[in-house]
Amino acid sequence: MFKMKEKWRYLKTEDKTAYANMAIDRAVLVANSECKVSPTVRFFTWNPPAISIGYFQSLEDEVNLEMCKNIGVDYVRRITGGGAVYHESELTYSIVIPESHPQVPKNIMESYGRICGAVIKGLKNLGINSNYIPVNDIIADGKKISGNAQTRKLKTVLQHGTILTDVDVNKMFLLLKVPDEKIKDKLIADVKQRVTSIKHILGDDINFNETAKAMKAGFEEEFNVDLVEGQLTSYEKELAKRFEIEFFGSKQWNHRR
Amino acid sequence: MKSKSTYKIPNGKLLKIFLDYNEKNQLINNIKITGDFFAYPEEAIEKMENELKNTKLDKNILNEKIKNIIQENDIEFIGLNSEGLTNGILICLK
Repeated sequence: MFKMKEKWRYLKTEDKTAYANMAIDRAVLVANSECKVSPTVRFFTWNPPAISIGYFQSLEDEVNLEMCKNIGVDYVRRITGGGAVYHESELTYSIVIPESHPQVPKNIMESYGRICGAVIKGLKNLGINSNYIPVNDIIADGKKISGNAQTRKLKTVLQHGTILTDVDVNKMFLLLKVPDEKIKDKLIADVKQRVTSIKHILGDDINFNETAKAMKAGFEEEFNVDLVEGQLTSYEKELAKRFEIEFFGSKQWNHRR
Repeated sequence: MKSKSTYKIPNGKLLKIFLDYNEKNQLINNIKITGDFFAYPEEAIEKMENELKNTKLDKNILNEKIKNIIQENDIEFIGLNSEGLTNGILICLK
């Protein structure tokens, strides 16, 4: 019998703060776990630019807080593990879906690969060939173009990740601390060799909407669903506001490690 | 005595340990397990840090203790494992 494609919610939220972005991800996770909203794919950007650190990282050990203050960059601790990321010229995605959904492998490693498959299809739609490198990287031209991180809470999967549209390694290293100052120059040179972006590969600037369009199609192809544009519910907005105060905008959360 | 180590887990992530220990009896006073690894559930790491207090800084004792905590709390690590964590902690003594 002909089966209708499942419909998931599609959100675009541009220019939110780091605190709001991380609070929205958590709010969608909670709302989805309570069956109040469909599986959701969100694309977003960060304004002001910000550094996010992994749940287990030490803020002061990873981030030059004074420099952040001086040049107007926010910083936030994620609920997902992984490394520190500087978010400026990128499209960030997040996907929230029940752990029991047939499209999500139960095995965590496998589910990283599956969700990264959507990003790879999205990049393909832009004419970029890329590969998944376990556990949480996507490379194009042999260089990293996307980093990803997943958590599972309340029987719900949240994975978010970056798709670099451009990259400024020098600025990144102004803001991030390195283990050994003496080899900083070499590290910067290394990272420049190992990181790429859509702009570097295509040789042209790409805007958020173009990237989002390609990525949306990538997620639809990978999961065989229709993404239907929607809004955050008032319940989610309320939750997000609360999480912003309780967690992501608080010193206690961000400085906890 | 306060000490810090940075240890790249073989085929894994970068582990950074902040350790406060008693030099006389080699027991852990306080430990922070940080880095760019993944652990599920995330909150279990705070539990592990608490349970490692007063553990002797001996390779076998430490590794056994960590393995037990992983098992009891059903922790799944990605980019980290009990051996790597034990090594990272003991590097703080050097």
